[in-house]
Amino acid sequence: MRHRGPRLRLLATVIAFSLLATARAGAHHSFAPYEPTTQVKLTGVVSQYRWGNPHVYFEIDAQDASSGQMRHWLIECASTSILNRAGWKFNMLKPGDTVTVIASPLRNGDPAALLKQLTLADGRKFTNGAAAGKATIE
Amino acid sequence: MRRRAIVAILAAAAAAVPVLAQTKAPAQAPATPAARPSLTGSWEGYPVRGDGFGSGVQPKVKVTPPKAVPEAPLKQPYLDQWREVQKQNQELVRKGLPPPSSGMACMPEGVPGMMGATFPLEILETPGRVTIIEEAFNQVRRIYLNAPPVNPDDADPRYAGHSTGRWQGSTLVVTTVGIKESVRFRGVPHSMNMRVTERLHMVSPEVLENQVTIEDPEYLTGPWTWSWMYKRWPGYKIEEYVCDDNRYFEDPALKYQRLKVN
Repeated sequence: MRHRGPRLRLLATVIAFSLLATARAGAHHSFAPYEPTTQVKLTGVVSQYRWGNPHVYFEIDAQDASSGQMRHWLIECASTSILNRAGWKFNMLKPGDTVTVIASPLRNGDPAALLKQLTLADGRKFTNGAAAGKATIE
Repeated sequence: MRRRAIVAILAAAAAAVPVLAQTKAPAQAPATPAARPSLTGSWEGYPVRGDGFGSGVQPKVKVTPPKAVPEAPLKQPYLDQWREVQKQNQELVRKGLPPPSSGMACMPEGVPGMMGATFPLEILETPGRVTIIEEAFNQVRRIYLNAPPVNPDDADPRYAGHSTGRWQGSTLVVTTVGIKESVRFRGVPHSMNMRVTERLHMVSPEVLENQVTIEDPEYLTGPWTWSWMYKRWPGYKIEEYVCDDNRYFEDPALKYQRLKVN
């Protein structure tokens, strides 16, 4: 403990914080199936918005940036109460709306992603609560 | 530090004895609701978080946050077994294949887990009762005040167990028995003889401390203790949380949490 270098101390801090985050935020189900660092930006049209628990979901059809193919994505959000506290409303999305999301895709390649940031057609931006993590791309 | 505190308490107790003997006052006069702050209202876990998880508003009087929950003092071979499972689980999480959990199946956390206040709590003081509601999964526990201890033979297994409580001065002491063996806080096994004792008291005008002690002679070498803290959240209305759209399931072959995508 006494002879730890700054790098080791940083690592210990990072581990301590991630354990804390797991303990307090991951009580319901794990976000580990999603890419831990990779994020993608998708602009698409909402086909479904399901306001419910344990988590809120919406679906969008978005064009893949590399292949140009249309893909149908399931976007995972936080619980209803977390989203209410983060400023969302149960009726702020409807089928046909165009939205932009920054999200972490599933590691197994299935078309689902954990939301980091949602931008509505009117430009308003929303987070997905502290446990889901912040957007690291623009 | 602790020894000095114990000495101070003993000295104070010794000084109080002659006074009590003279006046014949009860040793522990129950504090009336007027003499102590009411616990009724909404609470968020402390330290305070923001971004959907709490008010983000710090208390006016700063309170040192509680230390992390320590490892359970499990007897062998349970300790080695528990450590091995933790190691395996961390490895699975690292690979993106988290092991199935009760939360994945939308099961409530029960006692003591729900008192960790991942989501806000509501405490209601009513005559003869204290009721605690945890927002996630609409969890409710009913604490019957000044009730006789629950006979183990009458304590059918429950998530929240069977709780009785009494005020000791300004501290609410709650004893809980009858917690289902499948309800495992941090994956720690326990018997039906597990007893959870919670001592709730205000440590500042806004912060409530819950000193938790777990005893289980079958699984633990001694008491497992830690503190949780909650900050008042005036005006917050606890929301509904019914788990009716769970899309996670246990992969039948590989036994990990999977999201149903289509």
